[in-house]
Amino acid sequence: MPVVELKDVKKQYMLGQTRVDALRGVDLEIEKGEFLAIAGPSGAGKSTMLNMFGCIDLPSEGLVRIDGTEVNRLSDKELTRYRREKIGFIFQSFNLIPVLNVYENIEFPLLLRRSLSKKDRADLVLRFIEEVGLSDRLRNKPYELSGGQRQRVAIARALVTQPLIVLADEPTANLDSETGLRIVELMRKINEEDKTTFIFSTHDAHIMREARRVVRVLDGRIVTADAAEVR
Amino acid sequence: MLTLKLALRTLVRRKGRMILIGSLVAFGTFLIVFGSIFASSAKIASRASIIDNFTGDFIVYAAKAKDLPSPFAFNTPLPRIKDSDAVQRALAALPEVEAWAPYAQNYGLIQAEHKGKKVDLPFIFYAVEPARYLSVFGQAREDKGGFFGLGRGTVGVAQRGIMISGYQNQQYLKNFGFQLEAGQAITLLGITEGGVNTTRSSLVGVFDPTHYTSVFNYINFMDAQTYSDLYDYSGVAALPDAFNAGLEAANGDESAIFGLASDPGLGSLDLSTLKAESLSGATMIAVRLKDHGKVDKVMASLALDQDLGIKVARWDAASGFYAQIAAGLQAFIYVATALIFLVVALIFMNTIIINVTERTAEIGTMRAIGGDKSFIRGIFVVEALSLNVAAALVGMLAAVAALSAFAKGGVPLPDLVSQFLIGGGPLQLQVSALPFALALAVVVSVSILATIYPVSVATSVTPLSAMNER
Repeated sequence: MPVVELKDVKKQYMLGQTRVDALRGVDLEIEKGEFLAIAGPSGAGKSTMLNMFGCIDLPSEGLVRIDGTEVNRLSDKELTRYRREKIGFIFQSFNLIPVLNVYENIEFPLLLRRSLSKKDRADLVLRFIEEVGLSDRLRNKPYELSGGQRQRVAIARALVTQPLIVLADEPTANLDSETGLRIVELMRKINEEDKTTFIFSTHDAHIMREARRVVRVLDGRIVTADAAEVR
Repeated sequence: MLTLKLALRTLVRRKGRMILIGSLVAFGTFLIVFGSIFASSAKIASRASIIDNFTGDFIVYAAKAKDLPSPFAFNTPLPRIKDSDAVQRALAALPEVEAWAPYAQNYGLIQAEHKGKKVDLPFIFYAVEPARYLSVFGQAREDKGGFFGLGRGTVGVAQRGIMISGYQNQQYLKNFGFQLEAGQAITLLGITEGGVNTTRSSLVGVFDPTHYTSVFNYINFMDAQTYSDLYDYSGVAALPDAFNAGLEAANGDESAIFGLASDPGLGSLDLSTLKAESLSGATMIAVRLKDHGKVDKVMASLALDQDLGIKVARWDAASGFYAQIAAGLQAFIYVATALIFLVVALIFMNTIIINVTERTAEIGTMRAIGGDKSFIRGIFVVEALSLNVAAALVGMLAAVAALSAFAKGGVPLPDLVSQFLIGGGPLQLQVSALPFALALAVVVSVSILATIYPVSVATSVTPLSAMNER
């Protein structure tokens, strides 16, 4: 069973007086453990698709099924719980909470779950801090870190709940190319080791090469969804 | 804990704005605590001062009076109390009554000799029974020779005559070129419906008021016996039965009445058989209770006896606008405090809205990661309460410091304000816990009310906002 399933998904929204067709009938299935890039130019519909995967936006028409659940039918409260339990987010601008330090930022999603003891939380947080190579930066605040370090914290935060899917919206866009490549390599390593599903959007060809499958989007439609062209 | 941590750190991060708001809340809290204590102390002191100087707990006056008694003013003459003795007997029978003092307001002339000429000096006065007056209004005056010669605790026998204020005597010097001396013989002139009465008397002494100088500088005193002599408040309690029967039979016919003189049984009258009636000139009786809290109960029980021909007026009704000063001050402080908190609430609300706007991505991120609306709401409510309760505590500490500073000597007031508000002198503060609880309740309520709209804005931020942050 695919972890993500989109069937004839359409998304329209109004931009002032103009109707924008962000997605024009998208069909896509993503299997567990995939390392998938959604590629395309700005405005092609990459972010809208990621928003659907992440349950932070719903389609105007069509069906979105995450881990077998039709998310169109869920209430705001249920969607929130679904995101908390199933999905990890990595944002282009890192989106760390400025008043929390590295450790606390990574611990944050676990505290929202309220299901783990302090010791279990600490074990998980320290494991992922080590995994992203920031063990010496536990008490640093986000403003004391470089862009690459911040994105590593964001990756650890996305992974710490051991989600079904990790969504990364242009995770390297605010990083230099070398740091960006290292971040994607890190994501890939975690994908290979933990079999966590990674879906990320990008328009950077170097980053795209790291993906096992690339879904190309243009004008709200998938133009190719092909694993053969890469690697 | 997470919510509190986020709230406190956010407050520290935005300390510039928060210090501004916290200062306003602290100032408002200070105003509530200190202002309430000041106003309620002024009200208590004003009440005590009016009771101790003018009215007692309540005033008894004639039932046929059209106006309320007004011990401060001399412009509404009250009718005499019909049977002052009966009223005083009724008061004596009430266990709650501590003391009472019959008195009247009037005006007359003091005729004194100056450089061989008779000079008429106008004066207004209270006619009082000195010992009774002191038992109710013991602290009102300061005079070297005592009040009508009575020492403290009404020791001794009251002298007859009048006492005038030092200020009044100054006015005589200014307007007539001379002053009266204690012990000086004088003639008193009293104006009645039938003409002018006179009586020989003397100036017992000159006093300086200790309270309400703006009133007592102009009010002088005459002892009740001298007053009765001057206005002829004396009579016969009852004629012999034969006289009454004859007068009744005459039925108002003049010739029949004069014809009674030829009746051997009525032609001569043994005066020693007549009983004199003490007709008091008192228009008011000030009553002081052992327990001020029982004033309404005692007034009600006294008013039930309709044979006494009296009405009763509580101290605040009888004190006119004086009793309203403290209440007005209290209302002013409450209105000022309410306005300050309204401004604080508006500034606070705007600041939180700005914070929400600046933190849209942060809120969106929390929502995306799995924070529900109640979590977001909690952050802002805890932020508001943490800041404002902390600021309220600072305001309370400042109020405690101010209260401690004034604990010994009281709050000094401008003389004019002090005279009208509490009869003079510094205001002694009466501290209670209530204003502190009230301040905390106001701060918490304002915090929550001012947060409602910003929180609704914050909870409407969608997880998409996190994705849109570039």
